[in-house]
Amino acid sequence: MNPRRTRAVARRIILQFRRDRRSLALLLVAPILVLTLVGQLWGSNTSTSKVHVLAIGDVDPELLSALKGTDLELSVSEHDAATVALKDGRADATIELVDNVFTVTVEGSDPTRTGTIIGQVERALVHLALEAPLSAFVKIDYLYGGPQYTLLDYVAPVLIAFFAFFFIFLLACVSFLRERTSGTLERLLASPLTRVELVVGYLGGFAVFALLQALVILAFTVFVLKVQYRGNLATIFLVEAVLVVVAVSLGLAISAFARNELQAVQFIPLVILPQAFLSGFLVPVDQLSDWLRPISAVLPLTYAAEALRSVMVKGYALSDPLILRDIGILVAFALLMSVAAIASIRREVA
Amino acid sequence: MPPWRHLVAQLAVEARDVRKHFGAVTALDGLTLSVNAGEIYGLLGPNGSGKTTFIRALAGLVRPDAGEISVFGQTPRAAVASGGVGYMTQVPALYGELSVDENLRFFAALEGMTDVNAKIEDALGRVGLLDRRRSVVSTLSGGMKTRASLAATLLHGPRLLLLDEPTVGVDPVQRRDFWEHFRALARSGVTLLVSSHVMDEASRCDRLGLIRSGRLLAEGSAQDLIRRAGTADLESAFLALSGVPA
Repeated sequence: MNPRRTRAVARRIILQFRRDRRSLALLLVAPILVLTLVGQLWGSNTSTSKVHVLAIGDVDPELLSALKGTDLELSVSEHDAATVALKDGRADATIELVDNVFTVTVEGSDPTRTGTIIGQVERALVHLALEAPLSAFVKIDYLYGGPQYTLLDYVAPVLIAFFAFFFIFLLACVSFLRERTSGTLERLLASPLTRVELVVGYLGGFAVFALLQALVILAFTVFVLKVQYRGNLATIFLVEAVLVVVAVSLGLAISAFARNELQAVQFIPLVILPQAFLSGFLVPVDQLSDWLRPISAVLPLTYAAEALRSVMVKGYALSDPLILRDIGILVAFALLMSVAAIASIRREVA
Repeated sequence: MPPWRHLVAQLAVEARDVRKHFGAVTALDGLTLSVNAGEIYGLLGPNGSGKTTFIRALAGLVRPDAGEISVFGQTPRAAVASGGVGYMTQVPALYGELSVDENLRFFAALEGMTDVNAKIEDALGRVGLLDRRRSVVSTLSGGMKTRASLAATLLHGPRLLLLDEPTVGVDPVQRRDFWEHFRALARSGVTLLVSSHVMDEASRCDRLGLIRSGRLLAEGSAQDLIRRAGTADLESAFLALSGVPA
């Protein structure tokens, strides 16, 4: 491999990219916009808001006053009116006391909301039985995270990996597709440049922008969105760098199967969506069903997500066997994809 | 290879019984031809006759199914890797976002060239594009792009130039200039292999190879071919020798 030729390819990609303002904006601004939305969505703990419960029938006034100090907001209603209120979303639950058994009815269409409501009703009833809040008897301590830990803190490490993968994959795929369709690839192959030099040059050129993107996203999540963060920045960067190599080489290899930009975009559902759903982004990998877990195991984002989450949320060091294993697997993916990319560049004469 | 080999080898290109199939399509069907060092050889034939496949084989992009090809006594890829070959594709192969200068610098780096300023200036001077050196390629006209593409091909001083329909989209004045330039290159010892289906262009070559269905039908100077066909001009000779009723 000739380093000068490899550098020339990388330099050319950097130069082209700097001219392409729109792609640069996509790379740097789009993740910030999406993260801002996600930050608003998942960045606050909503579990402290009051739950509106309708008590049906004759309710003991003492019960009502006893529940005053809990998270429940209780009012009295008739059975039919309560059902209508539940349907309309004006009430979160109805509660009925028959033969010393509380029957709680919830709307139930949103599993997350249902879980929150049931939890709060149960806590209120325990409060009622014990005549003091549950927290007076049970103290909750945290190994990781804490009372201020939000869903955003949990998903941010995976989001960082996801953005790095998604945008860079797409850009690398379309850039190389252009190289294939515009005739420049043919011209390159009829020069002393080897296929290995070409692929390594591409990796180098895209890595510059991918790591710049990673820096911007990380700074935004840590300093603006104030995502909790324990581990070492350098370790996070190392994981990102390896992931980026996987994304670029996968993009180059996939571009062989597309004839135009539209077809390249059609690979997004196939390559990107499974990684979004099965890499532990929202559902932890060990909670996936038996037949989904093997699919998750062959997705590079699964390992990047695990490593980044362990470093950011749990403060794992680079020397931790789990991190080393994840990085090792990502390196293996990167090598495999690079070989696939090289193989996808067809020059009949070796 | 003995050190005196290049003195003996007067042939820039030697192709013997070259065959190439793409699926059911036969692109080259036992093509045999040779190009002398320092001559302008015109590859003449209708579309789909195998001209581009042969040029791509000489550029090391296509491996023949059978037969042998040597470029200055080397395999095509070895000749390309050592910088001996310049290949100008049919469609200008340049990066539209980059300037002419940046494109040329990139291709120069691939050929391992250093200190390229004077050479870029020289190459652009030859194709008459010096004043557009800083222009972004996507802003150039079709003819200018072709000229820039030729400059990129000449830059590293190849001994064999493969030009696949080099004057498509170039106006008549520039075409004349191109050919004066090709002539000057040949005088300096560069071998040119030019594919074309434009007769005016073909008549300017030292020798012509008439190709059809991947086979060499006739070979010789334009005058030879006209005489052999017994026609008034090259175009009629081309049709007569191709077996197409005029």
